[in-house]
Amino acid sequence: MYRHPPGLRGYVVAITLLGGALVFAFAAGSALFWVLETAAVAAGRPEGVPNWLILIASAAFLLPFLFFLARTFPFLTDWYYLLPAIVFLLVFTVYPIALTVYLAFTDYSGMRNGLPDRSTETAVVAVVGPRITLAADPVESLGCGESCVGQELELVGGGHCGRFRVVAGAGKTLTLDRAPSFEPEYAYRVNAFHFVGFKNFVFIFKNASRALWPVFVWNVVFAAFTVLSTALVGLLLGVLLNNKELKLRNLYRTLLIISWALPGVISIQMWVALLNKQFGAINRLLGLLGIYPIPWLLDPLWAKVAVLLVNLWLGFPYMMTATLGALSTIPDELYEAAKVDGASGLDAFQFITLPLLKTAFVPILLASFAFNFNNFNVIYLLTGGGPAVEGQLSTAQATDILISWAYKTAFRSEGQSAYGLGAAISLVIFVLTVGISLANFRVSGALREEGRR
Amino acid sequence: MSRRGWAAFAGLLLAYLAARRGFFAGRGLRPNSFLVYGLERGDWFVALGFVLVAAALGYGLRRLLDETDGLRLALWTLGLAELAAYTWGLSLELASRVQPKPAFGAVFIPGGWRYVLAGYAVAVVTLFVYSWLVIKIGNRLSGRRRPVWPLFGQGLTHLLMWTLVILVYYPVLQVVSASFDPRNNLFSFRKVESSWLLVRAKVLPALDHVSWANYAKLVDGVVIYPWQWAVLLLAVLLLLAALLLAWLGRRGGEVYRVWHGRALFGFAATLFVLVVFLSPDQFTGVGTESKFLLWVRNTLLVSGSSGLLAIALTATAGYAFARFSFPGRYPTLLTFIFIQMFPGFLALVAIYYLLSWLDLLGTFTGLLLAYSGGIISFGSWVYKGYVESLGRSLEEAAYIDGATRWQAFTRIVLPLSAPMFVFIFLLQFVGTYSEFIMANLVLTGVDKWTVGLGLYSFTTGQFSTKWGLFAAASVLGSLPILLIFYGFQQYFVSGYTAGAVKE
Repeated sequence: MYRHPPGLRGYVVAITLLGGALVFAFAAGSALFWVLETAAVAAGRPEGVPNWLILIASAAFLLPFLFFLARTFPFLTDWYYLLPAIVFLLVFTVYPIALTVYLAFTDYSGMRNGLPDRSTETAVVAVVGPRITLAADPVESLGCGESCVGQELELVGGGHCGRFRVVAGAGKTLTLDRAPSFEPEYAYRVNAFHFVGFKNFVFIFKNASRALWPVFVWNVVFAAFTVLSTALVGLLLGVLLNNKELKLRNLYRTLLIISWALPGVISIQMWVALLNKQFGAINRLLGLLGIYPIPWLLDPLWAKVAVLLVNLWLGFPYMMTATLGALSTIPDELYEAAKVDGASGLDAFQFITLPLLKTAFVPILLASFAFNFNNFNVIYLLTGGGPAVEGQLSTAQATDILISWAYKTAFRSEGQSAYGLGAAISLVIFVLTVGISLANFRVSGALREEGRR
Repeated sequence: MSRRGWAAFAGLLLAYLAARRGFFAGRGLRPNSFLVYGLERGDWFVALGFVLVAAALGYGLRRLLDETDGLRLALWTLGLAELAAYTWGLSLELASRVQPKPAFGAVFIPGGWRYVLAGYAVAVVTLFVYSWLVIKIGNRLSGRRRPVWPLFGQGLTHLLMWTLVILVYYPVLQVVSASFDPRNNLFSFRKVESSWLLVRAKVLPALDHVSWANYAKLVDGVVIYPWQWAVLLLAVLLLLAALLLAWLGRRGGEVYRVWHGRALFGFAATLFVLVVFLSPDQFTGVGTESKFLLWVRNTLLVSGSSGLLAIALTATAGYAFARFSFPGRYPTLLTFIFIQMFPGFLALVAIYYLLSWLDLLGTFTGLLLAYSGGIISFGSWVYKGYVESLGRSLEEAAYIDGATRWQAFTRIVLPLSAPMFVFIFLLQFVGTYSEFIMANLVLTGVDKWTVGLGLYSFTTGQFSTKWGLFAAASVLGSLPILLIFYGFQQYFVSGYTAGAVKE
């Protein structure tokens, strides 16, 4: 067997070795990818090879390297058990989060997506070293705006392509940062995105009364009301169904769990039709009761009520099951002892059931709050954030919550594909979500029993 | 608490309520809460004034009532009063937004709620009389003295439960019945002739035109090769065998249980073959809806592979956290849990950027990778707990026999972990089946859609003509999850509510 270097030193050594291995593999993989890309372009495929090959190439270097590393440092094999999880977390969770932080400070958008704009195609007529002469006035035909200096160009010719930066320009002649190694035929302007500092956040807070505040307040109300209503209904049903004398109680539990068992993405869309004002099944039922047709999804205030009711329908079975689970762990001896001491049924409920339920329920309520705080599906699939409210941004309407606002800003036509702004909104949500989760850990003490070993 | 104190308290509260009534009535507003009024209109003085009044009231009460809890009492009372006022104002506002005009072509019964209420009153009285009679007669016969209330309470509980069951299933019933009615489109004025009020009101379905036409449209033009039929038949047979063996195994017999596992595995494997080798070329129908089975296949493919990936990523990590004690284990565990606080889909812009850079937009692989991060922390944490509950004795025996760590893990712990793997798989499977935001972002084109995306195209597109189709697709699309959920209910219930049950 092998021994670890003890304490902090062992940790640092292991992390350094693993991090070094990952960095090395990524660098080597990138190099291999570059070779493949150049070969593909030279072979007459100007689009090159797909970029995901970089992941495969890195993995191809990582595996043998890890094998040799384990020969020299056998204690590292313990870490290999964690490595798949760590790598996936790094690439698909940690890196996107870091990238979100970066993109939030840029003007990345559908118009500035880092790709060459093919409508700016301009023929190159002459090349002298790093100086190229174009067939037309570059400011106009490349669509540079004020001046082409500082812009990025993509040059294409003879199956090759490359990106160059313009450092100076005079008339139709532009000076690039380096001389192209091939014979360029056409030039395109790259829709580069730039670092814009706090501009996105300034926009969010400048328009706070038109988007951030109403959306935030509704988001909190939505999550809090959902948690409270589902918990109340769930607790009531759980306590009622926990009565061992009650016949059919397992049947009721199985029947009532249906809205949890149905896939949400389907059942929420089902409700859109059911809540239709003129033709929906809900208003048909209410008509029998003498209630006039309710504009469930047409009126801003009623739409909020509709969202809350649908979410109650979706959420109560979970709370009911959680209550039953928590109640089943309370030993019967407690109740028997209370009975011997002369306590009534109500006393037992008040002094045994409720306090024990409370300790079990607080973490569940907080987790449910954190989940519903970002419950995109219910909002987006039921109302799409609508109906429209006058005076608010078109991406932040009556029932929009923060996450649907971010999504619509970044990926829907009314947000004009403002990816950077969407990332900035996501960052605001990150901060809020982490706050909720930290409160949850503090209250539930999930980590307290897991001490150092 | 003294009587004088209570009187003062009640007087103050009444004065407060009267002041608020005057305030809102004088401005021609609906009765509302001071706090909400101030916050909504940006009138900070009103909001601040409310808080100050509450504080002053509490302080005064503390003096008057000679109670240390005065402040708390005042805050609760005022808070509840404000909440009631706000709810009342909100109800008035909501009611004012409903036009007093019955829907065209719908059955409208003025004051119908009175009949329902009366019906419930009759039911409650009947229940009471019934319980009273049963208990009294029973007491008389047996000579015991049992109270009436428990039986009456059970009766009320049954009444409540059946009401709830009806309410919860009403939407489901509507969708299922719409799926069997090809004439049904949502925007229909068609009257139903029936002697039953509920059928006439279209609250209960009229079962005069039951047909499979909607379902037939979903599979229109689907070409299935003979070998796929054969594999499907095999899969069905294996499932039946598994069910039969499970039933036999329940009566004892280790052999049955072993074969039950093998049959289930065979079923999964044949299903996997079917899903993987179903290709878009086999869908030759005209409308988008004829691609429905392809969407189901896409969803099963993505959800199934993310479930498998979840197991692969969490198994070794969870084992290492549970059994190893290398330096840095605890900080790494904390980091995992810390990362779990960030829901992955919040980074949607960055994931979109990353996938577009990797040329993975519009591929199942891209979606799979985007999903992979979400389960790792939670899965490792749950699996770690499971391995810890297994006990070390078996592994220690294996070490004595000369096994390596990897052998102890693969030969001893892995076979024992099947229940936990099933849970992690199902968790990820069900979660990604219902996932919409990422799928909508990554998958483009009818051939790549998942069930959720396909249904979304029904609801946002020409919805009026496709309500029956939507209903049929909903029913079929829900079935896999419904079967899994009820089949593996124990796993879900125990796993999801693990937070509630502290062992």
